[in-house]
Amino acid sequence: MSKNKSIVVAMADLRAAMSLRFVKYGLLGMGALGPVAAVLTVVATVALIPPGPDYDMLVQYIAPTIASMLMIFGIIPASMISANALVGEREQKTMEPLLATPLTDRELLIGKLLSSMIPSSILLFGGTLVSVLAENVIFVLMGLPLLLIPDVGGMLMIFIAGPAIIIAVVSFMILISGRVTRVYEAYQMTSIVVIIAIIPMIVPAFFIGGSLIESVTWLTYITTILISVAFMAITFSLAITRFNRDRLISMV
Amino acid sequence: MSELENNAEVRITELTKNFGDIMAVDHMNLHVPAGSIFGLLGPNGAGKSTTVRLLCTLLKPVEGTAQVAGHDILESPVDVREVTGILPEEGNHTLYPGMTAYQNLEYFARLYGVDEDIIPERIHELLTFMNLNDRADDKAGELSTGNRQRLALSRAILHKPKVLLLDEPTSALDPVAAKRVRELILNLSQQYKQTVFINSHNLAEVQRICDRIAIIDDGKIILYGTTRELLSQLQVQQEFRIRVSDGMSEAQSLVESQEYVLSVKPEVDSLLVAIRDPIENNSKLMRALLDASVNIIEFEEEVSLEDLYLDAIMRGDKK
Repeated sequence: MSKNKSIVVAMADLRAAMSLRFVKYGLLGMGALGPVAAVLTVVATVALIPPGPDYDMLVQYIAPTIASMLMIFGIIPASMISANALVGEREQKTMEPLLATPLTDRELLIGKLLSSMIPSSILLFGGTLVSVLAENVIFVLMGLPLLLIPDVGGMLMIFIAGPAIIIAVVSFMILISGRVTRVYEAYQMTSIVVIIAIIPMIVPAFFIGGSLIESVTWLTYITTILISVAFMAITFSLAITRFNRDRLISMV
Repeated sequence: MSELENNAEVRITELTKNFGDIMAVDHMNLHVPAGSIFGLLGPNGAGKSTTVRLLCTLLKPVEGTAQVAGHDILESPVDVREVTGILPEEGNHTLYPGMTAYQNLEYFARLYGVDEDIIPERIHELLTFMNLNDRADDKAGELSTGNRQRLALSRAILHKPKVLLLDEPTSALDPVAAKRVRELILNLSQQYKQTVFINSHNLAEVQRICDRIAIIDDGKIILYGTTRELLSQLQVQQEFRIRVSDGMSEAQSLVESQEYVLSVKPEVDSLLVAIRDPIENNSKLMRALLDASVNIIEFEEEVSLEDLYLDAIMRGDKK
């Protein structure tokens, strides 16, 4: 009985990525920094601002900001791992023997996708869960009422747009892997995709204190989800159809 | 169809590949008999690596095709990859440095679809065959160049391929390690009855182990035949240039004292040495110099293959 080859590729990529110090500590750093920053921001805001109009306004504003922040810290690892798994393989000269195995393009691409999806999703969902739990444990200890930050819309965005952006990052990496030569260059280029996750952090800021902020925040969540899903669909389809062994090898 | 064509394990027909304006492989036609060790000789940039990459479906030809063990590289690339094993150029650099020797082989065994139940046994067999058993748990990045090359060779034969494609298998190896790899290739051919396709720019190497040779230049095959036929045509005379950092006169005396040395010509900063049966004796000579603590900074074959090609072309030996 043979193992699923995509899983085999994903596990090997993860092992290879974790053997690199910058990826290992990068992942640990991102995994820790997201929830810590989110919890500190939420707890500081809630604890320092007395209940009233300013409090409500700030809570409404920090909800999408925290959702964005958690999403960004969950997505960046996908960029680090996929850069290493695609461009890094070529840089290390391991791509040629890998492409010479009977792996089909589909098995290879799914393997590369899984190697980034698995840890990034764990960091994204785990980080969100840990943040919400930690915030509320602190609120209970401080005698404050329970609060859901990110709010329901933010959660929806994290759970839909988050994985979509992760897939988009990996697909984008597949598309550029035949054109860039260095891991760092690839890593920088895919950072562009992360900009989508910043939208909810910026747009509601223009409406703080206004009566439209709740509607704008929801609209921003929905827009971010739609952009992420559309970007994922486009980049993924292009990655599947344009994946080119010839170009990858010609650059070795 | 000739007997050679009937018995061919690798059948190349009008194979062509270009990179922009550069014609890497130019309408190549070639037949490699099943079970033979075939050497494709040529200088850097002649099209050897491109040929191997085309044969294992890493590159797509712009024209022509090839059949490897009965599978067409264009029509059934996955089948071709299943029946081929490849040792890429600089194979010792193509291992995962953070994985152990065992893990490197285990990974590729799974990718080649080797049954999970027999993977440990197969890896053990190969590590024993390559004399790497005590290095199984060492990270590939920590192995010596020679050991990494043997590990890369093990990876190429894990799934018992019908055709083994070796791109410069001994480049970057010292003469002792290179000799060991050559012996392994011969053993592989005898033990597993594989067809071996070797790319090399080292005439002595292919002369030693190959049954058939083709010489490629500018993407074109300019000579093809059995090793014996070609060597007689090329009238090979081999010399070695030895450069030492100090003690040139002592080194010269030592070299002259070796029974297999035919002549020694001292030059400004080196010795030009002709030796009998160079494949057999060049490593002996190097060992003698090393044992005498001579600090060798160069030990190079002086005969340039390019000269041989030029000679062949000038004499109109194209086939």
